Parts: sequence; C-alpha cells; structure tokens
Amino acid sequence: MNLTHIQSFLLFAAVISIAFGFLGRRRPKDRVKYILWSFFLFLVIGIGIGWVMYPFSR
Amino acid sequence: MDESKRMSEEIKETGIPQVEQTSESLEAAPPAEPATAEQPEAPSEGRAWAAAIAGWLVPGLGHALQRMWGRALVVFLAVGLLVVVGASMRGNVFTSQGSDAFDTLGYVADLGSGSFYFLARSVEHDGADVSHAGGDYGTRFLATAGVLNLLAALHAFEAARGRKA
Repeated sequence: MNLTHIQSFLLFAAVISIAFGFLGRRRPKDRVKYILWSFFLFLVIGIGIGWVMYPFSR
Repeated sequence: MDESKRMSEEIKETGIPQVEQTSESLEAAPPAEPATAEQPEAPSEGRAWAAAIAGWLVPGLGHALQRMWGRALVVFLAVGLLVVVGASMRGNVFTSQGSDAFDTLGYVADLGSGSFYFLARSVEHDGADVSHAGGDYGTRFLATAGVLNLLAALHAFEAARGRKA
C-alpha cells in the first residue's frame, strides 16, 4: 500500500480523533464535538510543525 | 419552575438525584431493579484486571465485557485499521531481538496491540522496508496502534473499577 504524506496524515488524524472521542466522552453530541476539535488540532499543529521545519529542510 | 428547584424536589421524592442517561450509560449499566432484587455487582479488582488483560489481548474486548459496545467496536476497528495499514505500508514490526533501546521501545509499543501484533507479522510477507517514507509511516502506525490499545485497556480497567466510564 502506498499512501502519500497527506493521506497518511489525514488517516492517522481521523482514526486517532475518533478513538479519543469515543474513549474520552460519553454523550454522542460531546463525542462529535471532541472528534472534530481533535481532528482540527491535528491538522493545524501538524501542518504548523511542517511549516516551522520547512526552512531547515535543505 | 426552574431547573434547580425541579432537581431538589426530585431528590426529596426519590432520595437520589436524577441523572441524565445516555445511550452508552444505558448500554453499560443494567436497568434499574426493585430494591428487593439482587444488587448490581460491585466493581472488583479481579474484574478490572480481567477487563484490562482481555482488552490488551483482543482490542475492544475489555469494553465489550462491560457492554460498552460503541467503545469496543471503535477500539477494535481503530487498532485493526492502524495495524493493517501500517503492515501494508511495510512498516517495521519490531521483535524481541532488538539491537538497541529504540528497538526495544518499538517492540514494547508494537506488543501493545496484543494479538494484532501477530496479525501485523502475518500481513507483512516481505518484511519491513523503511528505506522510503511509506515504510517509516507504517512503523509509526504500528506503534500507535499498540499505544492506543494500551490506552484503551487502561480505560477499560478504570471503567471496571468504577472510576471512569
């Protein structure tokens, strides 16, 4: 299986966010909010770290 | 009548506060029975350890034993997906014959997925290939699956002790 960087990143963020949402919250509404928030933070922090490292990539 | 008055009247009438029930709590807790019937089993250390070990061996089983079906299914699928994808990307499945501390840590993390560790080894026919980025990502997926399963087993342990649910 060959996944690109962004595909791996999105898959990882989605799976972990869903697992955290179900383990960390009980009510369905709270779970959905937690999953979306966690997924959003994964994206922002992951892409942010990528940009921070960009000047040192060469 | 405001909410606090309504709750205090309910407490006076019934002696206990009325807690809002969710689908998960309905799954996890048995239905209320008359006072004369057998009381629900109290949390015990043995039951908690059994849930933790079962959850480690088979991802999600620790929650399934406590009738937390949603959590059980999600843990099973999440750990299974990470293991299958990680192994399909030819990530490194560490063995006990590690040459350094990182290999040993990787082995402990991989072993966290319980029986799925052996699934990863069986899926990965051609061995690991971390010479490309995909293989390296696969290694992280496998380690994450193990650590996530350990976290879920710990959650099942705490839930069985009545501390968290």
